[in-house]
Formats: sequence, C-alpha cells, structure tokens
Amino acid sequence: MAATTTVEREHERQHDPGVAAAPARPRGRRPAWLVLQRAVQYALMVLLALFCVVPFAWVALTAVDADGGSTVQVPAFSLGNFVRFFTDGDTPRLFLNSVVVSFAATALNLACGVFGAYALSRYRFRGRTTFMFAILLIRVIPPPATIVALYLLMVKLQLDDSYLGLILAEAAAALPITLWLLKGTIDAVPYELEEAAWLDGCTRFGAIRRVVLPLVGPGLGAAAILTFMAVWGDFLTPLVLLQSPDLYPLSIGMFRAFTAFNQVDWGVLAASALVYMAPPALLYIFLRRHLMRSSIGGALKG
Amino acid sequence: MQRPGTPRAKARRTGTGGRGALPLLLGPSVVLIAVFVIAPAGYGIYLALTDTQLTGFAARDPHFVGLENFRNLLGSEDFLASLGRTGEFVLWSAIIGQTVLGMLAALLLRQKWLRGKGLFGTLVLLPMVVPEVVASLTWASVLSSNGDGTLNRLLSLFGSGAAAPLQDSPMVSVVVINVWRGIAFAMIMFQAALEDVPDELIEAARMDGANALQVFRHVTLPLIRGPVFLYLLLTTITTVGVFGLVYFLTQGGPGQRTELTSIYIFQHAFRDSQIGLGSAASVILLVLLMLLGLTYARLAKVEV
Repeated sequence: MAATTTVEREHERQHDPGVAAAPARPRGRRPAWLVLQRAVQYALMVLLALFCVVPFAWVALTAVDADGGSTVQVPAFSLGNFVRFFTDGDTPRLFLNSVVVSFAATALNLACGVFGAYALSRYRFRGRTTFMFAILLIRVIPPPATIVALYLLMVKLQLDDSYLGLILAEAAAALPITLWLLKGTIDAVPYELEEAAWLDGCTRFGAIRRVVLPLVGPGLGAAAILTFMAVWGDFLTPLVLLQSPDLYPLSIGMFRAFTAFNQVDWGVLAASALVYMAPPALLYIFLRRHLMRSSIGGALKG
Repeated sequence: MQRPGTPRAKARRTGTGGRGALPLLLGPSVVLIAVFVIAPAGYGIYLALTDTQLTGFAARDPHFVGLENFRNLLGSEDFLASLGRTGEFVLWSAIIGQTVLGMLAALLLRQKWLRGKGLFGTLVLLPMVVPEVVASLTWASVLSSNGDGTLNRLLSLFGSGAAAPLQDSPMVSVVVINVWRGIAFAMIMFQAALEDVPDELIEAARMDGANALQVFRHVTLPLIRGPVFLYLLLTTITTVGVFGLVYFLTQGGPGQRTELTSIYIFQHAFRDSQIGLGSAASVILLVLLMLLGLTYARLAKVEV
C-alpha cells in the first residue's frame, strides 16, 4: 500500500510541475483523488460479482418456496420441494441415473488413465509423442461436430440407449485430459523409487500400486474431479444417445420438465437445479486452489 | 504379462523395463479413445459423403453422393446464416465480452489494497462451475417476459417498460449469458499470466508519467501476449462447441434467430434425420476451427 501511494505521488508530480516544488499542497487533494479511484474499483468489483450471482437468486429462492413460480418472489419457506425431489415422481430416478453414470464413467476413466499415463511417462516407444499430440488435438474438436457420427456408431454397436454406451462414451471423452494430467504427475515421481521396489521383489504392477499410486494422489484427485464434473454436467451426449426416460440423467430430465411449458412444477425444478449444481459447486469452492493449479491450460472449461 | 525382477541394469540402460506390459497398460486407453473419439470423427467424414438418413429408404441403403452435401450446404442460406451467427456469437461473447470482463476481474484481483477478493473470486467462479442446464435455467427467470422477471424488475426501477429479451433480441440474450458463464475462465487464465508481470516494471512506467490505461496498453499487454492468444484460441474452440446453454433456452429459435451451427447440425441430423447433411456441416465446422487454430497459433507465435 505504501508503495502504491508513492507511485501515485510521483505520477501526480509529473502532471503538475508546481506540485514538485510544493509537496505540502496536494496532500489535501490526493486522498480524495485516491479514494475516488479506489471507490470506482470497488464499485466495479461489486457490479461484476452481482452480475455473476444475481441470476442464481431465482433458483435459491424458489427451491425453498412452497408455491414458487417462474420468477423471483419472496418465498413461503418450506423444504417440501426437496422432499418431493427425493421421493416423488421421476426425479429420484434422474438423480440416481446421474450418480451411476458419473461415478462409473469416472472410475473407468481413471482406471484406464492411470495405467495409460504410467506407460506414457515411463516407456519410450515409437509413436509416443505422436500419440500425446494427437490426444491434445482432440480438444480442438467441439462435441457437436462428432455427435452425429457417434450416435450412428453407437447404434451399429448396439450401445445406444443404454447405461453402458453412455458410460463408455463419457469416459473416453474425458480420457485425453486425464492422460495428460496424470502423465505430468507420474513424471514427477522418481524412477529410482520404483527400481528400489523391484529390487525388493515387487512386480511392475506391484510397484505401481505400492509406490506410484500413493504418490500421485493429488493429481488423481484432480483428474477424478474434472472427469466427474464433465460427465455430471453433460447435456448433449445423453440427449442424443438416450431415448428411454428411465435412463435420463438430471440434465435431460430438467430439460424435459422445463420445456413442458404448460405444467412446469417450478418449485421442484428449482430444487433439482440446486441439487444438481451442488456437487460441482462445492467441489470447486473447497478445492479451488488445488484445481486451478492442475487445470490451467483449459482442462476445466471443456 | 508381468516380469518380476526385470534386471535393473537393463531397465536403466534402455529405460523400458518390462516392455511386455506396455500393451496391457496403454491398451485400454488407446482402444477407448480410438473407438469413441477417433472413429466417430473418421466415420463422420464418410457419412458426410453419403445420403444417410435416420429413417426411410436411405436409412437402410445409403448411397455415396460425393460432395453433394457440401455443395448443398455451401449454397444454403440457412447454413451460411448459422455460420454467421456462430461467428457473431464467438466474436461478441468470447473474444470481446469474456476477454474484457475477465481481464477486468484479473486486474482487480491484483490490487493489493482491495478487500474481499476471495469472496469475489468465488462468486465469479460460480457461473462456470454449475452444469450448463442450470446456467440456462437461471437465466430463464432473469429474462422472463413476465413483468416479475428479474431483468424487468430492474428495468422498472429505471422507469422502463417490460421487455421480452428472449423474443425480441434473442442473440443479445445468449451472448450475455455466454459472457456471464465465461468470465471466470478468462479471469483464471489472465490471473496466471499477470503473475509473471513484475510489479517493478509497472511502477517504473507509472513514475515515467503513464496513466493506468497506458501502462496496461504498453507494458502489461505486450508481456502477456502469449497467454492472451492461447486463451483466445481455447475460448474460440469451446464457444464454437456451445450447444446446451443455448439449446435449453431457445432451441435455436425464435424462428432461427439463435440457430448456431452446433444447433443447426443437431436439428438437421436428429430432427430432420438428415445424417449425411449434418455430418457434412460438422466437417465444415471442423475445417474452419483447424484453420482458425493455425492462424491464432501463427499470430501468437505459440509453439503448438
């Protein structure tokens, strides 16, 4: 703070030659100028923050409103919407589908990713760099550009409209990022540690399990969270691949509920939105610093 | 499969102890990516050259039609208009809106005297981390044409009448929504870049009489040029891929006024069951993205 003030002082002096000669005079003026400048920046910060959170007002208020509508109003407080979300109609099923698909896809993604990344980190084989760049390039492909062919392919493989097909597609879509993230993490584990384990009689897989895995925990966690959030929030893939309402995840269920214009249960819809956004929002808020470091370079917005 | 006790010396020398395990380790990843990511991309190019449909005769017996789908698309006003809308959407929401507001947020977070930065950072992050369906839903209530909609209440504070933004200016609405969603990503990228700009340099410039804007333009910006271009590249790619955020709210409408190319592809392939045409549109989109990526990388002299 002291440094900034000095700079401002110097800055003013340059503009007004008279000030340099009489340093006592602007002392009364400078705080006002500085206060104004800071007030403007505070105002900008508050406006930007409001812009980011005000849209959430409806979700937050309507979710706890006994007779919520499509717009913001003072709620008649009740947790009935959440009770109905977890007990009535289709919503428990939607929630369960989302949970099953997200967890299964994340598990598959990590299982393949850890061993794949280990191979990419420890082995030098022909085509290794090409492979790394190829999967980096996959990020350039926007999902809507391959969804048509993916759907037809799934129909041919008889994997459309099934848990398995969706899980495989989601796990594969997030795999490039997982591989890059984990390769970097495994690179940082000293090779000597593994060699020591081999000398002590570990097999290669034994050494991966006992030596490498415990040391890559943070990277593994970051990859798990990023994959989970990508699958949990995905809308396009389930929209295209699934036809049976029984299999719909929350994203599609909410879309169907929202577009059924004449009979929208706004309270339950808002409660669904709150339940649906809670896992990624909480994960981010609590693990923010950690995730930021792992995911800079665009991993998180895909 | 496993080679217990691979001789240490050999492993050291070649760096590839237990080579037999390689297919087992990397195989599952390669298969998953090949089947569910690479194969659809290749299959899409093939489909683009056929008249495949979801239903009817062409569904059972598709014909090879060469470049006809591409000819049709490039002569179709609807498709060209959807490309134009995607361009508009990327320009206003990603390149201008997100970049300017994200930079502003990152610069604010750099001020040492500013209080409440932690809370501010968290709040800005919220729009990005929620699922896109929730993001769209929140805006449905803000933009509601109902007099009680959040925006209309704000407008009435300023004495202005009720508006129906999703009907009257749908493109502006979805641009604003996408800016809202993307500020955080820009902020994170720029925050990381700004960390590499030494404070002394900025102070020196201020002492030489430059005002804040001049310092930013002539000192800060040139130093973070690389990361800014990388950000523009990434945000362009992701913005071209935006589907759910817009589709949830407007389904491309009213009319076709928010039919971005991603929505055009979806509608033609799945609603009108013209798989061939949809695939051709996907291929055109991909080629454009590749060209764009190369141009950006060139301009920024980033090593890709």
